[in-house]
Amino acid sequence: MSENNIENDQDDIKIVNTGCCHDCGGRCTLKAHVKNGKIIRFETDNGEDPQLRACLRGRVYRQKVYHQDRLKYPLRRIGERGEGKFERISWDEAYEIVANKMKEIKEKYGNSSILFIPGAGNQGMLHGVTPVGLMLNQFGGYTRMWGIPSYEGALFASMATYGTMMTGNSREDLLNSKLIILWGWNPANTIWDPGTPLMLAKAREKGIKIVVIDPIFTDSAAILADQWIPIRPGTDTAMLNAMAYVIITENLHDKPFIEKFTVGFDKYKAYLMGDDDNTPKTPQWAEEITTVPAEIIINLAREYASNKPAALMAGWGPARTARGELYSRAANLLCVITGNIGIEGGYASGFMRAYYSRETVSAGRKKKTGPMNKEDQKEMTKKKTPRGNPVDWGAPPRKDSLYKLRGGTNPASTRIHFNEYYDAILQGRKGGYPADLKMAYIAAENRLNQYCNVNKGVKALKSLEFIVVHEQFMTPTAKFADILFPVNTFMERNDIAVPWLGSPYYIYLNKAIDSLYESKSDLEICKELALKLGVEAGLLNLPEDQILRIFTSPRKDIKSYDQMKKDGFYKVKVDEPFIAFKEQIEDPENNPFPTLSGKIEIYCEHIAELSVPNMPPIPKYLSHEEHYDAPKAKQYPLQLLTPHNKRRTHSSLSMIPWLEEVEPHAVWISPVDANSRNINSGDLIDVFNDRGRIRIPANVTERIIPGVVVVYQGAWYNPDKEGVDLGGCGNVLTKDSHSPGGAFPMNSALVQAELYSKKETEGVS
Amino acid sequence: MKQMGFYFDQSRCTGCYTCSVACKDWNDIDAGPENWMRIITIEEGKFPNLSLAYLALACNHCADPPCIKACPTNAITKRESDGIVTVNQEACLGKIECGAKCLKVCPWDAPQFSATINAKMRKCDLCVERLKQGKQTICVEACPMYALDVGPIEKLQKKYETNDSAIGFTKNNKINPSINFKSKI
Repeated sequence: MSENNIENDQDDIKIVNTGCCHDCGGRCTLKAHVKNGKIIRFETDNGEDPQLRACLRGRVYRQKVYHQDRLKYPLRRIGERGEGKFERISWDEAYEIVANKMKEIKEKYGNSSILFIPGAGNQGMLHGVTPVGLMLNQFGGYTRMWGIPSYEGALFASMATYGTMMTGNSREDLLNSKLIILWGWNPANTIWDPGTPLMLAKAREKGIKIVVIDPIFTDSAAILADQWIPIRPGTDTAMLNAMAYVIITENLHDKPFIEKFTVGFDKYKAYLMGDDDNTPKTPQWAEEITTVPAEIIINLAREYASNKPAALMAGWGPARTARGELYSRAANLLCVITGNIGIEGGYASGFMRAYYSRETVSAGRKKKTGPMNKEDQKEMTKKKTPRGNPVDWGAPPRKDSLYKLRGGTNPASTRIHFNEYYDAILQGRKGGYPADLKMAYIAAENRLNQYCNVNKGVKALKSLEFIVVHEQFMTPTAKFADILFPVNTFMERNDIAVPWLGSPYYIYLNKAIDSLYESKSDLEICKELALKLGVEAGLLNLPEDQILRIFTSPRKDIKSYDQMKKDGFYKVKVDEPFIAFKEQIEDPENNPFPTLSGKIEIYCEHIAELSVPNMPPIPKYLSHEEHYDAPKAKQYPLQLLTPHNKRRTHSSLSMIPWLEEVEPHAVWISPVDANSRNINSGDLIDVFNDRGRIRIPANVTERIIPGVVVVYQGAWYNPDKEGVDLGGCGNVLTKDSHSPGGAFPMNSALVQAELYSKKETEGVS
Repeated sequence: MKQMGFYFDQSRCTGCYTCSVACKDWNDIDAGPENWMRIITIEEGKFPNLSLAYLALACNHCADPPCIKACPTNAITKRESDGIVTVNQEACLGKIECGAKCLKVCPWDAPQFSATINAKMRKCDLCVERLKQGKQTICVEACPMYALDVGPIEKLQKKYETNDSAIGFTKNNKINPSINFKSKI
């Protein structure tokens, strides 16, 4: 273009409608201003309500795309695994090495020896792990996981209680509540759909009381709520059960509702009254455990039961514990016994998904939920199913899964729990796992950082024969790759983002710029690698836009694909707000709950039949070996929490300077615990237990309950020569196990803290 | 003369920093000491009786800006048409040479300097270019909580029930900052 064509600077700028698609609870609009092939700045949604305004994580995206540390070329490891020494190779060479090694491993050990480690750090409908899974299926399959760290406890409880994940109401329905309780939930920072904090603010402005129960005085507690109730971590089930005790003993429960819609109330009541264990679950009993004064528990129970409709929204964080599903079950049951189900302004808790177009509107293809019949079960164990992962074909269900229910459970016994990968790698079939694992295919996943027990992970990853990683940056996980494929970002390709919590909209991520350096999309990589592997690339061979049209074709709520692509989003018009279980309550004859009994299961017979230790069919409060009252607490007296904060999305965006200055990484510790250890803000401190040690600055703050330290998750593991993590990755300290229902115990680790060195400026005095 | 200014709903601000980051992106400002939009955290009390409020402050485009009087080179001016206070980069002596006299007299640290040696003063110009195009400022359009607004100050006062102070902000009658609040009580 000649200079004469450019009248002024503005004419030279092209605006591309795209969005951000991190693995947070939001998917938001970004308008990229592109000049000479480079993004120079962003705007966000300024159109019709509800706007999908990007938060700070989206607004910083330029600093990710153009970050100096982006992986630029395919790399081959030349140092030790984890050392981070690599050399540049060509794409052809990289493909050749990977294809040959994969063929060799398949030949020698079979497909089950290939462990797929998928993540959500780089995602969309088409990119991230999707094409990798398709390619590996074509190659004969792989060993895969069950269990999702974010929510497995909440999911299990949702399935056990209601038989479905679809338990959420539309956000605007919050305005119909008389009381809102946010339990262990911080939507001001974690973005559960972009409009959530705004709707909570509007509810409060309308005069609706909001209560937050959380060990941390979060931004949600401080800004959105009228009352903050600090609670000792991992004891939520005790408080919820004590509230149920108050409600039942004061006759505030909804007896007609319980009679009509539930099973097993008497068994729960018997537990609460102490019929079996001579321990009535009184507020005084709970005060001892939770540190919440009995008076506060009684008042909240009365308020909740007598201000109907009321919305108790049980966050997933308290379920990321060693008995996680019991907390979620207890929260669900509080909603149930007060009859806050299926009505405007009420809330069922559960998994809390409100909308999922494939289930609600696909004409004639309604996704099945609920119990499986005999034929379905036969289908599941058939020798061959037409699609999916061949390694799973014909596998019987896991004995500890809710395998009789459909949707939300991953019962194939060929699968390994995501938090037991390291043990499975190290032990294989000898340790009772379904496969001997020889190679890992890792995509969009900073695995080592984001799962429990990093130091064990180091051993496991070092023991494998071969590791392939798709990445954008040299993450702690990427350092363990044998071959590292540089992947582009969502600014460099077309894709569609679907909100996973189910707000009714889509984001179309229009490609804003060409791929930087030699990076490629996951789709391109898999398409080209498939050729070398000698398998059909199939769908992968089509252009991005064509595949996206195929993927979205069953979603009848997208009335115009072209409009969505043009605007960069599609806001689905819905007739009225979603109220979960409205049909079940209004017309129970024709709409049973999708559980085995057809009713809400206060006592879950399916769980009872499984007969798994520490998985009672009613939500009992149970301790565990890393609880505050466990013998181990003598040695490690502090409880560790590893929640999300506003400056990262998991471990993505950890490298962004604009975000680092928003909230520098530090351990939050209460003055009570800091003073006794001679710790001041800014001092370098060690937090440690038998699994490892991290060393980062302290932030001494009143904003947490004493006895607890907080290491916000996602900071990158960065060990020194002694193996002390100077990056401050909380998962160095967490345990690589899971609750009986599959919950990840990221918030169930006992630790100790000690001063390492005083802050430099103070060291002189 | 109309006076442009800010409205800030402190009761809604969750301290998410989106306005601040959007400002840095739009104006291409590196991470570092230069912050045209600053988020101030006001934390009070002892566990468990705590209060926390945020204050988002850019430049208040004061009715009688002390920075203008303090500037030795008349680099800072107040626009006749809308009261927006702007800086002439070429006239500014720089942080070291001048001693940042503008910053010293501003009660809210609006004049900002980058990390470069003898950086020239820069600050919030109320997105004059965007306003000219009929758009809102980048911070107003960024706020996920709709807690910010920019417009003629009289209009803002009519549109919202406003207060001239907030937690962490006391009105200075002498220089008359062009900002109104809904305070977090």
